[in-house]
Amino acid sequence: MKSPTSNRRLVMSGIAALAVMATVPAALAQADKPIRIGYSMARTGMLANATPSQSNTYELWKEQVNARGGMVVGGQKRKVEFVTYDDQSKPEQAVRIYEKLITDDKVDLLLAPWGTPFQIAIAPVLEKFKFPMVGNTAASVALRQVKPGYIWFPTSAIPDRIGVELTAMLKANNVKTAVVIANVLPFTKEIKNYLEPELKKAGIEVKFSTEYPPDIKDMTSILTQVKQANPDAVLALAYPGDSVLYAKQAKELGLSSPVQFIAIGPSDAFFAKAVGAASAEDVITIAHWSPRPEWKGSQAFHDAYVKKFGEDPDYLNSALAWMSLEILESAVAKGGLDKSKIREVISKDTFETINGPVRFDGVQNAITPTAFVQTQKGKLQIVWPKSIATGQYEAKKSW
Amino acid sequence: MPVFDVLSSGQLLFAALVTGSLYALVALGLNLVYGTMRMLNVAHGDLVMLGAYAGYWAFSIAGISPLVAAPAVAGLGALLGYALYKGLFRRLLAVAPADAGRMEGNSLLLFFGLSIILQNAAAMLFTPNNRAYQYLDEVWRVGNVAMTGNRIAALVVAGATCIGVALFLGRSMAGLAMRSVIERREAAYIVGVDVDRVQWSSFALGFASAALAGVLMSMLEQFSPFSGFPFTIAGFIVIILGGLGNVMAGLVAALLLGVIETYGVALTSANLRSVLLYGCFVGALLLFPNGLLARRSTRK
Amino acid sequence: MNNLWGDRAWLAAVTIGVIAMSALPFVANDYLVGTGLTLLMWLALTQSWCVLSKMTGYVSLGHVVFYGLGAYLMVVTWQQLPFVVVILAAGVLAALFAALVGLPVLRVRGPYFVILTFGLAELVKFSIMAAESASGTASRILFGTPDLVVVYFSMFALALLATGLLTWVSRSRFGHGLRSLRENEEAAETLGVPVVRFKLIAFVLSAAIPGMVGAVMALRSTYFVVGGVFDPMISITVIAMAILGGGDNAKGPVLGVVFLFLIQELLWANAPLLYMIILGAILITFVLLLPNGLVGLAGARTRRREARAVEARP
Repeated sequence: MKSPTSNRRLVMSGIAALAVMATVPAALAQADKPIRIGYSMARTGMLANATPSQSNTYELWKEQVNARGGMVVGGQKRKVEFVTYDDQSKPEQAVRIYEKLITDDKVDLLLAPWGTPFQIAIAPVLEKFKFPMVGNTAASVALRQVKPGYIWFPTSAIPDRIGVELTAMLKANNVKTAVVIANVLPFTKEIKNYLEPELKKAGIEVKFSTEYPPDIKDMTSILTQVKQANPDAVLALAYPGDSVLYAKQAKELGLSSPVQFIAIGPSDAFFAKAVGAASAEDVITIAHWSPRPEWKGSQAFHDAYVKKFGEDPDYLNSALAWMSLEILESAVAKGGLDKSKIREVISKDTFETINGPVRFDGVQNAITPTAFVQTQKGKLQIVWPKSIATGQYEAKKSW
Repeated sequence: MPVFDVLSSGQLLFAALVTGSLYALVALGLNLVYGTMRMLNVAHGDLVMLGAYAGYWAFSIAGISPLVAAPAVAGLGALLGYALYKGLFRRLLAVAPADAGRMEGNSLLLFFGLSIILQNAAAMLFTPNNRAYQYLDEVWRVGNVAMTGNRIAALVVAGATCIGVALFLGRSMAGLAMRSVIERREAAYIVGVDVDRVQWSSFALGFASAALAGVLMSMLEQFSPFSGFPFTIAGFIVIILGGLGNVMAGLVAALLLGVIETYGVALTSANLRSVLLYGCFVGALLLFPNGLLARRSTRK
Repeated sequence: MNNLWGDRAWLAAVTIGVIAMSALPFVANDYLVGTGLTLLMWLALTQSWCVLSKMTGYVSLGHVVFYGLGAYLMVVTWQQLPFVVVILAAGVLAALFAALVGLPVLRVRGPYFVILTFGLAELVKFSIMAAESASGTASRILFGTPDLVVVYFSMFALALLATGLLTWVSRSRFGHGLRSLRENEEAAETLGVPVVRFKLIAFVLSAAIPGMVGAVMALRSTYFVVGGVFDPMISITVIAMAILGGGDNAKGPVLGVVFLFLIQELLWANAPLLYMIILGAILITFVLLLPNGLVGLAGARTRRREARAVEARP
């Protein structure tokens, strides 16, 4: 029989062993606890057909991150989990959702909803709760009035810059006359406001200029006048809904101007599906990304998106969404989940993204240039500015 | 644009006719449903959307031309109308409150519920993504008028259907029975019309024409589960403008809207397109409270 | 008349509701306060809608036009006037608009009136859109909006005002006159009810509060888009809440708003598309099974209780 002392020692070491075993799972559990990232996205309502380019990108990222073992936080890898709600295409609903995500669901991080009205609407909520979030698919000069510190916008497609750069591109291609037609919705209207004075300054004659409401069903009257004006460049400042209508009716009426620009629409793979490859060919649109060897990960992102979703990513929206995720990931790897640290990192650091380097000056991206892409042989190539161009501008032969 | 150029433009005429004929087809179904049942079908545009999906699937998956698939899709629409009538709307008529005001509100709510279900079921089953395809998209030129093949086809099919239904209502026995129920339901009972049969057949016809409009639209425009509402609006504007239950007046009103959309814009400015449309609508209704071509008889 | 369940229980419920809603901002997080704010907004909008549409039977599908006008006024005068002044002015603006268009608009009846009001709202929407774009304005943003609590209590006041207004109207002689013209306008006129004047007054009364509600809500979403504040879905939702509630006094809308709101809150946090389908099914079921709304349901139970009480007597 063992002495009482050795029994006691056995029991004590048994308890010690159990205690150690109890803490190890706790330590492992800490690492196992997923990071909860919240966002709202329009899954019903008028914008539901536009948001997949962004939500798909979010999903792709989550898949890749979790396949790697998770997001790096404070030296450890933790899996990512999304907490997401439908904002029904209403900015007020998005405001409520972000309040819920922050105060009720208490998520660790936030991702942006789709579109300018939504990201601007939630900016005060982010500021109130001191919760930093990287924006993406928002573009308006009004962004500069948003107080810096809790939201940042990586896009370079800001309307006043677009006005300047588009004019420069036209001038470089010897355009003498132009026509401007614009949807009265905010983004395109803003572009028109800045574009027309720039065109005038550059000596490009605007032969015809008009605006139309978003629910337009037939553009024959407008395009008949455009055709009569016979300009070198037709600048259709259209939203995705009317860009397809515009392209189809441009084809019917046979607009023959060599420079055909459509503000939003052609950066999405759907455009070519809707109007046909021949019509989509050589149309210029706004985007500042295309897979380039100089931009690490850009081709990989493109291929991964095609593999998972069976179509090209939206060269504007999907690229921006991915950039915002890369920035967030880097910031968290450096600053952990501490919000003031994350905020500091995002405000100061330069990030390497699939769109090249990004650094924020206030709320805006100080590095990425305002650019335009053109569909060439079914692929979007950056044709302006020359510094990041992947292809040369070519005139559009026909619709 | 100079007035003479506008009025003599064949291109504008073509555009007005295409737009007008599609409005007319959408409004046709709406008028038939309202005329017999006095119910405002706010889900009508969603039926158009479903028809568009049917046309899209027929073409993209089975390679069937939407024009060939159209009758089948219309038939499916008719079946849906019949089923919904027997299963749902007959009950509504049975519990209909005595006063018209509550009937109005109740039917709005019922069809609104249906609309929500259709839109979101479509989004769940088909994803909310946009859909479109190219069919007959070569452009034909006659003189200085350019016409895309699918727009000509839409105009012809929509126009033929509207004229066909108008003839049916005017000449055939079944059509006359339908008109009698539209104009004076109680009297129709008395003269021995099988009102129940007229009601389900007008429902079926109404849904069928919505589905047909959808197939035609799928050739011309992109669509998604939530793109039906504008068609509902357009349909209502047309049937109210023409006068409820008056199918012929509806056709005229539809063409009128097509004219405003094209000629009106050409004579003023594209910026005023929607202001003109709704302005004319409101103005016309304030002057003619029962629609432009309303019959004298008021049935409540 | 639901008198048994009616007045005492109703008064108790309202008192509890008022106390609870007053306390909310002090005990709950921002999300719940925002939820309460939205509930109060729908209450104010639905009650004011009923002043016209339930009492007179003229179903308006354009209620959002007053809301949009109020929101627009707030946005256009932002930081030029104290916002309380603007809120009151928004009510006046909406009422003036109703007074201006009321006479010709109310000559139109039945389903024509329904679609006319819709068309009117769209006309105002597109006119403002055209005016904004003609003036070069692309969008408007409000910076420096007041705190959520301030917005909340403003809406609280409006909800109380709307409930009070509908209660007063439904109990007054004016309300009786409205009901009489709802039942049979020609007969009412023959009996001496000043039909045209009464309709117009109801229309104007129903306009003021949504105008103020719109002005208040503009403070909430900061980014103003014309299409968003003239959204037809607002008009449709108001009708849905009113019909679900039933009746033609202040009780119905409260029941309807709370009911629909509760369902939405319970469901939307989960599967987004399925929730909408369930909602649609609920609406359809309601119309078929309860054509007199929740008020009718409460009334039926009262009637059954009364009937049983009568039977039980020896």
